[in-house]
Amino acid sequence: MLSSPSASPRWNRKLILVFVLLAIAIIFSLGVIVVYVVRPIIPPYLLDTVVYASLFGLMAMGLTLTYLTTKVPNFAYGSFVTIGIYTSFSLLRVNHISPYLSAPLAFVLGGVGSVAMYLGVLRVLARRGSSLVALMISTLAIDIGFIGIFGIYSDYLTSLYRIIDTKYFVALSATPGTDFTLLGRPGLLYVAPISLAAITAGLYLLLTKTRFGIAMRASVENPSLARILGIDVERTYVFAWWLAGGFAALSGSYYALWLPGGTSAGSNLIVEIFAASVLGGLASIYGAALGGLIVGASEILLTQEGAQLFGSWVQIYQKGVPLVLMVVTLLLFPQGLVSVGWKRVLVSAAQTFRRTKILLGRMIRSAGGK
Amino acid sequence: MFVLFGIDIIRFLVDLGTAYALYLAVSLTLNLEAGFSGVPNFGKVMFVAAGAAAAGSVSGRVAAIVLGINTHGDYNGFIATIIPSINTALTQNIVLSAELLLLGVLLAAVVGAVLGFVASFPAIRLREDYLGMLLLASAQLFQIFLGGYQPLIGASQGIEVPDVFAWTETGIGVRDVVVLVLVAAFAILVYLYVERVARSPLGRTLRAVRDNEVAARALGKDDAAVRRNVIIVASAISAVAGALLTFYVGAVNAETWTRITWTFWIWVMVIIGGAANNAGVALGAFSFTFLFKVVDQVKFYFQGYIPFDVNWLEYLMFASLLIIILAFRPGGILPEKSSATLPWSTIAQIVQSESKSIEVSSKPSNVPDQDKIEGTDRPG
Repeated sequence: MLSSPSASPRWNRKLILVFVLLAIAIIFSLGVIVVYVVRPIIPPYLLDTVVYASLFGLMAMGLTLTYLTTKVPNFAYGSFVTIGIYTSFSLLRVNHISPYLSAPLAFVLGGVGSVAMYLGVLRVLARRGSSLVALMISTLAIDIGFIGIFGIYSDYLTSLYRIIDTKYFVALSATPGTDFTLLGRPGLLYVAPISLAAITAGLYLLLTKTRFGIAMRASVENPSLARILGIDVERTYVFAWWLAGGFAALSGSYYALWLPGGTSAGSNLIVEIFAASVLGGLASIYGAALGGLIVGASEILLTQEGAQLFGSWVQIYQKGVPLVLMVVTLLLFPQGLVSVGWKRVLVSAAQTFRRTKILLGRMIRSAGGK
Repeated sequence: MFVLFGIDIIRFLVDLGTAYALYLAVSLTLNLEAGFSGVPNFGKVMFVAAGAAAAGSVSGRVAAIVLGINTHGDYNGFIATIIPSINTALTQNIVLSAELLLLGVLLAAVVGAVLGFVASFPAIRLREDYLGMLLLASAQLFQIFLGGYQPLIGASQGIEVPDVFAWTETGIGVRDVVVLVLVAAFAILVYLYVERVARSPLGRTLRAVRDNEVAARALGKDDAAVRRNVIIVASAISAVAGALLTFYVGAVNAETWTRITWTFWIWVMVIIGGAANNAGVALGAFSFTFLFKVVDQVKFYFQGYIPFDVNWLEYLMFASLLIIILAFRPGGILPEKSSATLPWSTIAQIVQSESKSIEVSSKPSNVPDQDKIEGTDRPG
């Protein structure tokens, strides 16, 4: 008798990853609350770490979604982040709408930009039989086209609304009353990790519990077979791209709240987002979220610790940390953290530990025998 | 002076020629890597910038030592006083100028080659998409290093470079013409070299490695070594181009070397012109440089009519141009030509004449021998 196939070990691993992510998010939030109750002096860079890591997790998840569907590294992905940055910037400056309220609009706009890129350029080129390198260079071209569009838009904002700092602006939270405060801390400190956790959990539910999500997974794993089963693969890809652009723009609208932005703010992030995604293995959405957390956190923590150890010159190289992580990942384990057999690593570590203990015991005994 | 539409034509042509020569040299090396050998170098800017930084930082220091100028132990800190005194000395000293130029160029070539050698390690092992990402990231990392490490080229402020063409300051524009002649000679040399490689058996090996690694390996070609050597040579030439640009401009600044200026634009040239076709790339580089410089000249006339900066349109224009070319003419203006081989009759004749001269009667003379056909591919 055919029983329904039980979840494969791979999906179990993903479930574990989801729980790990949820746990991290909860620990983040709980830690912040506990720290608030105990009231030690927290250096501001720890707050930065929480926000930064969460945002990178979100961005890396979206980038991995685009890579999973088209198998092309999307160098234009950073521009979707810029879409979010400009959405919240203009709505705040022109209409005085909070970035939290404009975030859903940013999500939609980023998704539209992303789908337009997929349908308008990538799919056209792929159907004409372009090579992988041609597709990669076309995404680079789209990124530069986007920078041009943002430049035109920012000049337009300047001439229309007399806003001067449209090309380079400080963090939006610098304007008093933009971000809410909870327990004496800026609201984004809670919103960013919770958004990441909620989106990861939502994505997990979508991909495992709904028919459409399972169809999406099938289209990614084996497009031809999915087509045979009557799945509209194109529709699932378009949806994946919409989600990816949405995640980018959502994180962009949070990003603008916390950090300075400008016409190429998102494009400058692209290599770091890639670092996060590559660390996660480029093939696992949850791995990407984890990679984003690691890259975002290590970027700030390593530079801060390094600055305390070696002097402030280390801070100049902050943006280099993710790149070094990426280069190391690509050279040592190009399939990412997810590919590393952690169980085996742990087992062998335990074995080594036991052997050393026995060896040490023998040495001590023999020394005592003498 | 010839003036057309308010543009000084001679000045414009000299400027265009210099830019074209440098872009041509770099795009030809990218063609060698990406077009012929299939190495997607998305980090081109790193190699050009490395040459510029090496030449820019060392030539001034050497000049200061040779001329006995007091640097107060902090070359970059006192650069504003050191460089003018070097330059006044160099106006009289044509030999030292030439030596400095040569030193900078050679040093750039060495630095470029070393960087290329380092970059070749992942290039041999990684898949195209991973390699593209890695090179893009490395270039970004290198730019962060240039912009952050003060002792090299003064971090974000940049430093001035001794004017090795100072001896030409006899008339207005003479310096530019001298530079033009120099970079044009360089570009022509690079073109001749790359074209020779492309037409040689090595060029066919490169294409074989690009198109079918396994088959190339089966024919006894060391694909890893071929790729490594191509990257080393291409990087060295790119670095020399960077050094020449630095000497021309008279300053070096980390901000100049971005993903757009020396990676993306170069890719645009190669793809517009036609990858794996040197004449095509020369044409592509010319079309790009010409469009770029013309837009540069005329954009101020439009500034009053458009409510935004025309530079942004340039970005959009070249991005769309690239995508349109990729979609409708993926081979570029002049697509790759299949390499011309000898007709079968000629090969048969060669084989027959050789077998006659060797007088090996055991082989049937009417069947062209596989080894011999392969043998015609070898030089000498």
